Amino acid sequence: MAAIGQATEAVETTPALARARQRAAYVPDLLVEAHRVANTVIAGWHGRRKRGIGENFWQFRPYVEGESLSRIDWRRSARDDNTYVRDREWEAAHTVWLWCDSSASMLFKSTLAPVSKQSRAMVILLAVAEILARSGERIASPGVLEPVAARNAAERLAAAIDLRPDKAQFPDVSQINRHSDLVLISDFLDPAEEVIDKLAPIARRGIRGHVLEICDPVEEVFPYRGRTEFVDPETGRKLTAGRAETLNEEYRQTYLARREGISESLRRLGWNFITHHTDQPASTALVALHTHLSGEPGGGVREVAS
Amino acid sequence: MSALSIVFGAPAVLFGLALLPIIWWLLRLTPPRPRTELFPPLRILAKVLKKEETPAKSPWWLTVLRLLIAALIVLALAQPVMNPREVQISAEGPLVIVMDNSWSTANNWPERISVAGELIDDAEAENLPVSIVFTAEDTHNATPDTAARARERLQAAVPRPLHGNQQGAVSAVLTALESSGIGTLAVLSSGLTANDATESWQSLLDRAPRDVMVFQNTTDGTLALVAASNEANGFAVTAERLDSDHTEIHAVTANDSQGRPIAAGELRFEEGATTGTALLTVPFELRNDFANISVDGLSNAGARYLLDESARRRRVGLLSAEPLDLSQPLLSPLYYLTRALEPFADLIVPEDSELGGAIAELVEQRPSVIVMADVGTVPDEVEDLLLEWITQGGLLLRFAGPRLAGGDDSDPFVPVDLRRGERALGGALSWSEPQPLAAFSEQGAFAGMSRPDDVTVNRQVLAEPSPDLGARTWASLADGTPLVTSRAFGDGRIILFHVTAEATWSNLPISGHFVEMLRRSILLSRSTIGAQGVVEEVILPPYRLLSASGAVTTPSGAVQPLKVRSGSLPPVSFDNPPGLYGTESGFVALNLMRDADVLFAFELPDYPGPVTHSEYMRAASVDLAPYLLTAALLLLIADTLIVLFMSGAFSRLTMRKVQATAGAGLLVIGVGLAGADNPAIAADERPGDAEILASLDRTHLAYVITGDRRTDRTSRLGLNGMTRFLTYRTSLEPGEPVGVDIERDPLELYSMLYWPITVDADPPSREAISRVDTFMKNGGTVLFDTRDALAGLSSAGVVSPETARLRAILAELDIPALEPVPQDHVLTKAFYILNEFPGRYRGSPLWVEALLDTDNPDNRPARGGDGVSSIIITGNDLAGAWAIDENNIPVYPTVPPDPVQREHAYRSGVNIMMYMLTGNYKADQVHVPALLERLGQ
Repeated sequence: MAAIGQATEAVETTPALARARQRAAYVPDLLVEAHRVANTVIAGWHGRRKRGIGENFWQFRPYVEGESLSRIDWRRSARDDNTYVRDREWEAAHTVWLWCDSSASMLFKSTLAPVSKQSRAMVILLAVAEILARSGERIASPGVLEPVAARNAAERLAAAIDLRPDKAQFPDVSQINRHSDLVLISDFLDPAEEVIDKLAPIARRGIRGHVLEICDPVEEVFPYRGRTEFVDPETGRKLTAGRAETLNEEYRQTYLARREGISESLRRLGWNFITHHTDQPASTALVALHTHLSGEPGGGVREVAS
Repeated sequence: MSALSIVFGAPAVLFGLALLPIIWWLLRLTPPRPRTELFPPLRILAKVLKKEETPAKSPWWLTVLRLLIAALIVLALAQPVMNPREVQISAEGPLVIVMDNSWSTANNWPERISVAGELIDDAEAENLPVSIVFTAEDTHNATPDTAARARERLQAAVPRPLHGNQQGAVSAVLTALESSGIGTLAVLSSGLTANDATESWQSLLDRAPRDVMVFQNTTDGTLALVAASNEANGFAVTAERLDSDHTEIHAVTANDSQGRPIAAGELRFEEGATTGTALLTVPFELRNDFANISVDGLSNAGARYLLDESARRRRVGLLSAEPLDLSQPLLSPLYYLTRALEPFADLIVPEDSELGGAIAELVEQRPSVIVMADVGTVPDEVEDLLLEWITQGGLLLRFAGPRLAGGDDSDPFVPVDLRRGERALGGALSWSEPQPLAAFSEQGAFAGMSRPDDVTVNRQVLAEPSPDLGARTWASLADGTPLVTSRAFGDGRIILFHVTAEATWSNLPISGHFVEMLRRSILLSRSTIGAQGVVEEVILPPYRLLSASGAVTTPSGAVQPLKVRSGSLPPVSFDNPPGLYGTESGFVALNLMRDADVLFAFELPDYPGPVTHSEYMRAASVDLAPYLLTAALLLLIADTLIVLFMSGAFSRLTMRKVQATAGAGLLVIGVGLAGADNPAIAADERPGDAEILASLDRTHLAYVITGDRRTDRTSRLGLNGMTRFLTYRTSLEPGEPVGVDIERDPLELYSMLYWPITVDADPPSREAISRVDTFMKNGGTVLFDTRDALAGLSSAGVVSPETARLRAILAELDIPALEPVPQDHVLTKAFYILNEFPGRYRGSPLWVEALLDTDNPDNRPARGGDGVSSIIITGNDLAGAWAIDENNIPVYPTVPPDPVQREHAYRSGVNIMMYMLTGNYKADQVHVPALLERLGQ
């Protein structure tokens, strides 16, 4: 019997970009929820639905003593006895940092899934980049791409990823400012404690995180039977199981417990955690990510800007 | 035949070893190659899979281990036998076995039997007649017979605690085989011989046996104890050995009559010497309990030396010219002698008060020593008797004195010629000072003793100067005049102390050196109870016998009584084997070896024919198969454990668990070791020690637990309040009050026992009351409180239940007459000045022991102050008044409710405590007015 899992070549970014665009077309514009970035002064294309620096009218409000007289809208004030100030809608861009894991374990693809984890991760990453770029947000990737606000940001990201020297390492995130968003895509197969140890300091810096776990269905279902030698694609370590089917239940519990542990810890840090199986369409993950990025998980009521 | 020759019973099986490479190949085979799967979450799987993690190939050493197991099994199946028997005897002529069964064969008798048995087996196979003869038997039968008969005789033979008579045995062989030749001569020698057997052997060898086989072990360690004697500084043991080429050290043990070892020593043979000695330095008293001396590790008759009464305590007769004045014992000359000699001698004092009769009576009892304290002249009629006794070995120990100083010149019982009169040193009319002693002479019995610094001599008798005076002097004063002189007299000896036996002339008798000097003197004497004391021939029945293996046994039927003639013991023989002869009250030890005996090595004369020398084999043949199989099984177990370990069966225990388990194990072992190390400490501890220790550091008020809960609580709270009050107001700071169960708890820890009488609880048992009685007799005081002031005690004629209960208790106690506290009693002024002793109630008097002289009130405190009343009775419920709760609020109201009464109740308690603890201290104060008045006069 042929092996269930196989290691694939790392996917090229260009076809991935094409597919990503395809996926991104299904998804509406992403307006990154930015109520926490009140002080970001970089102008963007999208109104923030609050007063601030921008070009579009937002509201009239009564003049308050001490304000600059130049801000008074005299036209409106002339209409009655009150003095009004014209507020404009704040139009600012938001920086979203994107990163996807490209380690050896991500290159795994099983017979149950159409693509490898890395391929799926890359597609989602570029799709998100595409959506964000479309919305005028600033896109960056730690260690790969400095923040850039351009319509072709997704292409630039894809090119940068191709050129990046070491793909497997977890990136240096020290350059990320607080109030930015960080999207991490990986399989997170390390023990839950190690993952959290890595992510918790980032979260404490005020960075909002969206973690997407990509998993191959084989990793979750564990369909192996009989005498099987398991090889770790990263370390090359081998384990031989006499009867692999006997391990099924115990392994699944351990695997799911790890996911549950990461999810719970991230939730406590205020981050989002999404699991995506490679046998599902990439759009599902993309939509979920979109929801979280736009700050409306489950379509809930948007928090009113203060 | 080498010592380690191995023969295989089934050598064909050894070809099985050729299978080992196949087994190796089989072992190297690995299980079917698993399907290889890439699996990224391997780290998660690893947590689950640990137990099945096996390397593809077993390590080389495990393979070697398994091959070893297989090899061992193959070897075991080949039936290896170590040391197969290869004895060959000549195929012609009768087999002659001369077998020693003397005392030294007992150590390895079974081996000798098996060697002889194999020879007989060989003879039986060859159908040869066998002549077997044993050396240590009374009759030697060497008639050739069938092998079966010879085997029966061999099985019946036992080692004897005797010397082997090889000459007799060989002569018997010569006689029996006069007509026929000798096929094989097998000599199963003990290594020892009598010194006169060489000629007999030569004549036997002259008969030209075809084959000569000599079995003989090395004679290392063949030794025999030859003498033991009680010396001044220890028990000396002498032993003989055969070879003298190296230094040899053995441990010797002295056993008492029950066979218990009571002393140990080291028997040392110097290189080149066949005689070794040991000295058991143990106290004299212990030496008297020695029943035999044995060499450790050797079980034969030569290694055990029996002791009889001759090594025991000496019998000492005491003689004094003046009658024993019991009214002034310290001035009696025999007083110090008795005290000094008692520990190590049996003392006899004659019944006859007349000197001549007394000496005759003493000599009659044949003592070892006769001590004469200041006997001037021996009466003529007993002089010869005494002289004969001394000549035969008696020791006469004399002390000087006024009578000796004034005796006549022809006294034969002095070691040196004496000047008449005594010499006085010091005193009002003398210039000279009392003389100390000089160092002891190196020749006498006192050699080696340290010089006594504290002994001074005021008065002595002087010896006439003579050429041999110095040689006869054992001790002298600092100015050179002899203090102790001695002279051998026939077999006996006369010793003279030139001072008196009491402390009038010198303080020697009250110094410790006196005891040592006497002890050493008496050790010179001979015991006169043992064989030496027997004059005519006596016949002694066997009492205990020494077996060949050196055990002391009860006699068997074949042993004849021992005939002892005039002090000499007959030699050891078949009829009289070594042992104790006599009765339990007195016996003579007959030992295998005598003082002058030596051991002779057996040596066969040169023989031109074939002579085979061999040793007795320890084991004829050893089947090695069981050992090999056992080793294989052990290795198999080890292999199993290793496989289990490698498969991770043990690694399921987390490291922490292992550490905890190991730690606990170590702890258990440590505790066990500690417990084993300190059995004495552990045994000293008793349950309840901690409580006793805790209550010893401070004074505690104590109350009797009656069993009624309410009463006990009141007692506890009351004594708590009293303790607090005492702490505040006095320098006495008692500890927590203690409830005492008089049935069980130790009472002697407390000075005061408060005993509220309640009828709600069971009356105390008789044992408890007797304990309280002891407590009171030993100085404790019991404060009984009937708490019925309103009901009884004071009102005559009415008896409350509590009072009845108290009377029942007191009926069991031994108490003197009681009286209410008089006005001038110490209790009224022990701390506070009190006129009455109220508690919760007031009105009940406080009863104490009546002071004796009630008629004369003036004298009363003077006599009564010494004793504290051991019993105090009140009915006022003191504890009720004292009782306070945790907030220091009184628990019970007083009747009538009056704070002053409560204060007085506390003061009563303080006075009672002070009275009990200080006793007569305040009673003296009672006298102050009277004393002042007297002083004024």
